[in-house]
Amino acid sequence: MSAGSLTSFSALHRLNAVVSFLVIAAAWQLVAISGVVPAKYFPDIPAIASAFWSMLASGELPGAELRTLTRALTGLAGASILGIGLAVLSDLSPVFRRGFAPVAALVQPIPPAALVPMAVFMLGLGPRLYAFIIILVTVWPPYFNGVAALAGVPGEQIRSGQMMALGRWQMLWQIKLPAALPEIFAGIRYASTISLIAVVVAEMLAGHDGLGFLLIRKAFAIRIPEVYALMFVCALNGILMNGIIGLLRWQLTGWHMRMTEQPA
Amino acid sequence: MDIVLKVDGLTKSYGRGADAVKVLGGISFEVGQGEFVSVVGPSGCGKTTLLFAIAGLHSLTSGSVRLKGQLVTAPPRGVAVVFQDYSRSLFPWKNNRDNVAFGMARIAGRSTGEKRARAEAMLEAVGLGGFGDKYPWQLSGGMQQRVAIARALASESELLLLDEPLAAVDAQTRSDMQDLLLDIAIRFRQTCLLVTHDVDEAVYMADRVVVLTRRPTTVDHEIRIGLGKKRDQIATRENPVFLKARHDVMTSIRNFRAAAPADALA
Amino acid sequence: MRAALGKDMASGLIVPVAILLAWQALAWRAGTPLFPGPWQVSLSIWKLWPAITGQIGYTLMRAFAGFLVAAVLMIPLGILLGRLKTVGRIVEPMMDMLATLPPPAVVPIVMLFAGTGDIAKIVIIAYAAAVPLIMNTYEASKSLHLMANQVARSLRLTRLETMLHIDLPASLPMIATGLRLAIASALLVSVTSEMLLATNGIGVFIQRQQENFQIAGGLAAIAFISVIGLIINNLVFQLERRWLFWHYRSSESHSDG
Repeated sequence: MSAGSLTSFSALHRLNAVVSFLVIAAAWQLVAISGVVPAKYFPDIPAIASAFWSMLASGELPGAELRTLTRALTGLAGASILGIGLAVLSDLSPVFRRGFAPVAALVQPIPPAALVPMAVFMLGLGPRLYAFIIILVTVWPPYFNGVAALAGVPGEQIRSGQMMALGRWQMLWQIKLPAALPEIFAGIRYASTISLIAVVVAEMLAGHDGLGFLLIRKAFAIRIPEVYALMFVCALNGILMNGIIGLLRWQLTGWHMRMTEQPA
Repeated sequence: MDIVLKVDGLTKSYGRGADAVKVLGGISFEVGQGEFVSVVGPSGCGKTTLLFAIAGLHSLTSGSVRLKGQLVTAPPRGVAVVFQDYSRSLFPWKNNRDNVAFGMARIAGRSTGEKRARAEAMLEAVGLGGFGDKYPWQLSGGMQQRVAIARALASESELLLLDEPLAAVDAQTRSDMQDLLLDIAIRFRQTCLLVTHDVDEAVYMADRVVVLTRRPTTVDHEIRIGLGKKRDQIATRENPVFLKARHDVMTSIRNFRAAAPADALA
Repeated sequence: MRAALGKDMASGLIVPVAILLAWQALAWRAGTPLFPGPWQVSLSIWKLWPAITGQIGYTLMRAFAGFLVAAVLMIPLGILLGRLKTVGRIVEPMMDMLATLPPPAVVPIVMLFAGTGDIAKIVIIAYAAAVPLIMNTYEASKSLHLMANQVARSLRLTRLETMLHIDLPASLPMIATGLRLAIASALLVSVTSEMLLATNGIGVFIQRQQENFQIAGGLAAIAFISVIGLIINNLVFQLERRWLFWHYRSSESHSDG
C-alpha cells in the first residue's frame, strides 16, 4: 500500500529530474554555441565532459572525491551521535540544558572557514582537523531538533511508560528516542548539507587534498572546464549524501514516513 | 465482596501558600471486585486528576489510595489505564501486536512467544484479530482505542482505569464500544473505574455511579444502579430504573454548575 | 516567584562558568601564548577593538549588499515561478541541484570571472542568500491555498489586488523563514569569501592574526563574529515574531484542536 506508492512517487520525481536536467544541459549547450558569452568563460558541454573524463582517468577526481566524501560522512556521523547524546543529556538534566544553551548560541553562528586557521594550527592537516571543523558546525541541527523532539513526546506515551514502571534510561530508550527519531533525522538531513560545505571550505583553506583543494588548484591553473566539472561533482555529492541519509532514515524511521503520507 | 480499590480522604492541591489551588477536597469511595463504577461530575472538577492520582501518576497532598490493601505511591502493578487520546498513547513505531505486548512489560516469566500469543488473543477479544501486523495509525479512531483497551487487558491488572475513553470517538462507534467494554468486563471479570462527563454513558455502563461536586471536589453521593450486568442500548435506556438514576445525576450536576461562578471551567 | 527565577538563572550559569574555568586551567598548564585562556582572549578583544570593529564593518556591508541583491531578484522570481506551474515544475530539480552546490564551490569560478574585489564577494554572498530565498518563496507561492483564490474570485478582486491582499500575506511566513536563513547565510558566506579572496574584512583579519601566531587575536575576532551573528539572528527572529504574530498565534491554536 504505502511503500508502493512511495516508490512510484519518487520514480516520477526522478524522471522529472532527468528530463529537466536534459533541458538545462541543452539550454547550456545552446548558449555556449551561440557565442553570447565568450567561450573561454562558458565552455560547451563536450568540453566539460571531456575535462570530467580526463580527471576521472588520471585518478585525481576519484581520490579527491573519496577523501571529501569520507570526511563529510564520518564527520556527519560523529556530529549526529554527539548531537543526540547532548540532547539526551539536556533532557535528563535541566541544569545542563540551561547551561549549554549559551554555548550553543555562541558557537552556532561561527562560520567554519573562520575556524580553519586556528584548527590547522592546533590539529595539523590530518583527519582530526576535518572532524573538528565538521563536528563544531554540524552538531547543532541534530542537537536542537533532539532537544525539541524529546521535550515534545506526548504526555500519554510517557504516562504509558510510567504505568509500566520504566526507569529513566528505559523510558529514553524504549519511548522517548523512538518518538524523537524522525525529527532528529530531519536535523541530520539539514546537517548533511552543512557538512559538505564545511568540508569543501576546509579543504580549500587548508590546501592539502580533497575536492576543495582540487577546485582551487584547477582555478589557479585557469582550467575552466575542469572547474565547472568539479562544481557539478560537488552538487552531485549533495544529492548522494541526501540519498544515503534518506536510506538510513527509511530504515530507522520508515514508520513515520508512511504515517505522514497517509491521507488523514 | 473483596475491596479492590479504597480511596480515603484524597486531596490534591497545586501551588503553595496563598496561591494554592485545591482541586480535590477529600474524596472517599471504594470499588469492589468485579464492579463497574462510573465517576461523573461537572466540567473542571478534576476527574482526570483523580484518576491519575489513583493510578499513582500524581502525588497526593493528603489522604490515601489503597489497592488490595497496599498503599499506592507510584504506578502499582495491578492498575492499567486507558487514556482519552488514543492517537497519542499508542506507540506509532510499534505495530498493534507489539503495542499490546507492551502492556505485559511488568509481567515476569513469560517468553516472547508467549507474550506474542497473548497479545494476539487480546486483539481477538476486542474484535481486532488479524490486525496485529498493522500499525495504529492505519486504523480508525475506534479501532485504535480498542488496541489501547487490548493493551490494558494484556497487563492482567486488578483494576482498569478508563479516562473518558470514548470522548474522542464518533457517536455511532461510541455505543458499539460501550457494549464491547461491558462485554469484556464480564468475560474477564475485570474491575473497572470509568471517568466520564457523559451522564448517559456513566449510568448505562455502571453498577454504581459516584457523583462528584465542583471544586474543591468531594463525593456528593453514590447511586447503586439496579439493572444487572447485561445491558442493551435501546431497552436499558428506556428502563425506568435507568431514567430515574439519570435524572438524579443530571439534576445534581446541573445544581453544581448553577452554583458555580462563570469561570469555574478555568 | 522571583527567587525561583533567580535560581534558574544561577543554575544555568554553572555549565558555562565550569567550561570557562576548565579552559583557563588548561591554558595556565600549557603556559604558552599559543594556547590562550579566556582572560587572554578578553584582553585581546579590548586591545584590538578598533581594528576588529573597523574590519567587521566591511564584512557586514558586503553581507547586506549581497542579501539585498538576492532578495530583490529572488522573491519576485520565486512568486512568478510558483504561479507558472509548468515552468516551475521544470525548474524545480534545477533549484534542488543548486541547493546542493555549496557556496564555497562557486568561489573559484567567480574569482576567475570577477577577480577578488567587492563585486566578486557580493556575487558569492548573493548566490548563497538566493538559495533559501528562491526555494522558500517558490514553495510559498506554489502552495497558496485554493480556498483563498475562491474568496478572491467571489469578491471580484483584480489579479494585482489578489496578489497584494491575499497571496502576499499568506506567503509571508514562509518567505520570512527564507529571509532569516538568507541573512544567516549571507553573514557566514561573507566571512568565508574574505578568507578565500582576501582584500579586507574580518575574515582577512583572522588569517593575518593566525599568520602572526596571534592566537588570542584570532579567537577574539571569532568571538566577535559569533556575538554579532547571535545579535543579528536574534533581532531577525524577534522582528519575525512581532510582524507575523498572527501566524504564530493561529498555528498554536490549530495544534491544540
